Amino acid sequence: MLLDVKGISKSFGGVKAIQNFSLTAEKGDIIGIIGPNGAGKTSAFNVISGVYTADEGTILLDGKNITKMEQYQITREGISRTFQNIRLFKGLTVLQNVMCAFDPLSKYSILGGLLPTPKRISEERKGRKMCEHYLEVVGLLPYKDERPENMAYGLQRRLEIARAIACEPKVLLLDEPAAGLNPTEVKDLTELIERLSKDFGFAILLIEHRLELVMGVSQKIYVLNFGKTIAVGTPDEVRENPEVIKAYLGEEEKKC
Amino acid sequence: MSVQIIINGLALGAVYALIATGFSIIFNVLKFSNFSHGALMTLSAFIGYFVSVGTGLSLFPVILISMLAGGLIDLAGEFVAFRKLTIRNTSSIYYFVSSITLGTLFEGIVTIWVGPNFYNYPRFFKSMVVKFGSLIVSTSDLIMFITSFAILMILMFFIQKTRLGRALRAVSYDRDTASLMGINVYATIQMAFFISGCLAGLAGVFLGINYTLYPQLGNLVVKGFIASVIGGLGSIFGAVVGAILLGLMETLLINFIGSGYAPVFSFLIMLVFLLVRPRGIAGSNVQEKA
Repeated sequence: MLLDVKGISKSFGGVKAIQNFSLTAEKGDIIGIIGPNGAGKTSAFNVISGVYTADEGTILLDGKNITKMEQYQITREGISRTFQNIRLFKGLTVLQNVMCAFDPLSKYSILGGLLPTPKRISEERKGRKMCEHYLEVVGLLPYKDERPENMAYGLQRRLEIARAIACEPKVLLLDEPAAGLNPTEVKDLTELIERLSKDFGFAILLIEHRLELVMGVSQKIYVLNFGKTIAVGTPDEVRENPEVIKAYLGEEEKKC
Repeated sequence: MSVQIIINGLALGAVYALIATGFSIIFNVLKFSNFSHGALMTLSAFIGYFVSVGTGLSLFPVILISMLAGGLIDLAGEFVAFRKLTIRNTSSIYYFVSSITLGTLFEGIVTIWVGPNFYNYPRFFKSMVVKFGSLIVSTSDLIMFITSFAILMILMFFIQKTRLGRALRAVSYDRDTASLMGINVYATIQMAFFISGCLAGLAGVFLGINYTLYPQLGNLVVKGFIASVIGGLGSIFGAVVGAILLGLMETLLINFIGSGYAPVFSFLIMLVFLLVRPRGIAGSNVQEKA
């Protein structure tokens, strides 16, 4: 088991953002998480990526307990993410944005930061090459010296994905990657997600409101409502599930 | 004569640049003006002074020791005064209060330690002046200028080109996202304080050589503050440019209207900048944290 989330809960005051949420993922899986607004999807991501610490439950990555680790350690263990509202480093170029995420993986000391040792030069060159490769994967290499805030919204989303893969994750969390994209861009994104899963072999967890995207790429779908998991299954099973239909469409009024 | 004034101004500006840069680095990362910076300059300058008097070391080892002392003290200061605030993500007003308190503590330590007296660094140079043809330049000015510039160049390179520098910039733009991208935010903040402390130590020694050493020497930090306002708060490049301009202007003003009125004009210039171009020369907008 690559990622094993066991019964995590998180409350804010009286609001139970997520209750007893469990999820398992293997290498190469694409797993969709859907649900109405406020269902606790992003809260689940925030707990897994360490923004919040779970009140209850454990998260195992490759058998290692990462529940209580610091954010940056969780990232180094192999969980990286993108954000619902784009959060790029403004003021750094596109390439530098990606290199920031890759840097914790390159090895040279503070002294190496000051002196141009051969090791640092080679590490720096290797890092740059890897990051340019990641940009190529998402199709942003021609923009590498641009400032992210000058780019179109769809491209910024892709840059976030490139930055997340530069962390060399085992599990990639995508939080509404299609929000604000037009239909053509959504199609490109769908292809990109499938390609990433095939080429890199990491597990992908995907929060998304565009059901055509989630249903198209996911092997397994979790449906949340009011912090609770109401259904788990393949896209077809979930589509037929009465609980899910109720959550999305509301309950039919009882006829007299 | 005029060339000498300009060299004098450049040397003074270079020292201001060290102060302003030390200020800017912390401002960038934690978005507050670190008012303990001045007192830290004094404290590390005194450490350098007593080392040089006690051991008879020459200038460069003394500089090195002062820088190291400054860096380490600032690390301790960060731990005592700011770490909890950072972890709790509090508003910057608490940082202000904490930094003023820390500064008062440093100044108090120095006053208890050395008393309110004035001290002079031993003479480090055999000859007071260096001659380039007909040009006569004071040795201390020359060394101040060259050393400061070398250090600032190394710092610029470090920030622009290395992975730790990139981490520093990423943390400055968005601390939370940086953390989620695998950057150890607290270690990066510690690094910023260490660098800032080193710069304070260097600036302290130079100010001590240029003027005299006394417990309130750190008040000269105001010059660094003016420089970073002129250059644009938060921009390191702007801080350097602003500091050089300020140093040149002050030296010229002292020559033309006398040292009594020169500080008045320094502040006037800052006020004019705040009225006309509050972003400063480099014009980088400091954004509110989300």
